[in-house]
Amino acid sequence: ALPGPPGRAAGPAGRESSSRRQPLACCCRPGSGGKGCQRANPSYLLLRLFVCLFSLTCLARYEEATNELINEELGIAYPIIDGIPNMVPEAARTTQKKPPAEGSKQP
Amino acid sequence: GPAGTSPGISALGVKGCPRCAWIWALGLRRHILLPQEHFKVDCISFSCPFFAVYQVFESVAKKYDVMNDSMTLGIHRVWKDILMRKMNPSPGTLLLDVAGGTGDIAFRFINYVHSAQERQLQQKLKNHQNLSWQEISESYQEDKFKLLGDSQVVVCDINKEMLKVGKQKAQHLGYSEGLSWVLGNAEELPFDDNKFDVYTIAFGIRNVTRIDLALEEAYRVLKPGGRFLCLEFSHVSNPLLSRLYDLYSFQVIPVLGEVIAGDWKSYQYLVESIRRFPPQEELKAMIEDAGFLKVDYQNLNSGIVAIHSGFKL
Repeated sequence: ALPGPPGRAAGPAGRESSSRRQPLACCCRPGSGGKGCQRANPSYLLLRLFVCLFSLTCLARYEEATNELINEELGIAYPIIDGIPNMVPEAARTTQKKPPAEGSKQP
Repeated sequence: GPAGTSPGISALGVKGCPRCAWIWALGLRRHILLPQEHFKVDCISFSCPFFAVYQVFESVAKKYDVMNDSMTLGIHRVWKDILMRKMNPSPGTLLLDVAGGTGDIAFRFINYVHSAQERQLQQKLKNHQNLSWQEISESYQEDKFKLLGDSQVVVCDINKEMLKVGKQKAQHLGYSEGLSWVLGNAEELPFDDNKFDVYTIAFGIRNVTRIDLALEEAYRVLKPGGRFLCLEFSHVSNPLLSRLYDLYSFQVIPVLGEVIAGDWKSYQYLVESIRRFPPQEELKAMIEDAGFLKVDYQNLNSGIVAIHSGFKL
């Protein structure tokens, strides 16, 4: 089960600033070893436009192996099905590799 | 809040609604509908309007375009053309088309900026009278890659079937560049703030459960200076025309639905959703509540359809 999302009205402590939408540095950051900017590529554009519905920060990257869009920060992945990114909470899954930290919000 | 202090799902009257159960589990409390906001639609099994709408569109997706032509006698194409002319996008515009499942608006947008770009190109070539044929051909090749001028349209819809139909249409009609498809919820768009130049929602907003949330999201994702455009069925004030319109809607459309799409109930539902939808002034007020300025509307065909416009300033 996914942790409860912060929601738009009031986030968890520490996230109440009005500038909540500071994007994570994305793949076009220098030295990131990214694939290079293909401005005309619609997928690249989408990656820069998208935000994770739970963290409200921009998605870090596209994972080719599983064909998913990953939010590294919260360990959440959105599937791309039939070439269409499914950007709804129901479709997301967690990609936690280690057990959640103390004070977990998991049921 | 902690378990035991929040009202249970049954207390909110959404018991048995898969969508609201999910929303509750995910903690998106404010998306839960109060009992009075759920309504019993005789023809649809679930009492949750969101799910009812979802099912309707799932079943009509493949015949959507045919039905639009039959129901509106092809006039919906004119309405959409008018919307595009009103938008008058210049090359380089980034458009978000919400609830745009089968791509009607998206394709029109691409055609529009494509022609605008071609006109610009021809103008440029005209000004270089002394080029050789070879040079002209080379310059055309170069500009071909920028034929859309960096214009992009993102089509966002909650319904997978509608998007699939749209994608297939795009392939069939040869649209490939400048077009993306996303499964997303108008009430909770997966896009960052201040990104889009234009937001359109054509014949989609009446199907959104929480129109106020959708309008807030529209405001959020638009850039400052961005434009909101909504094309939707509205209210006819002329009593005679209104009577004829009612007659047509309730007597003819479901029959067409049955004959063409084999689906009476979905089209009856669609007709009812049109009647329930707020009239022009009320929608204008809702758009203003979301923060938009210079909100105005234009009636088409005496109010059968209206285009509402607002700006994020």
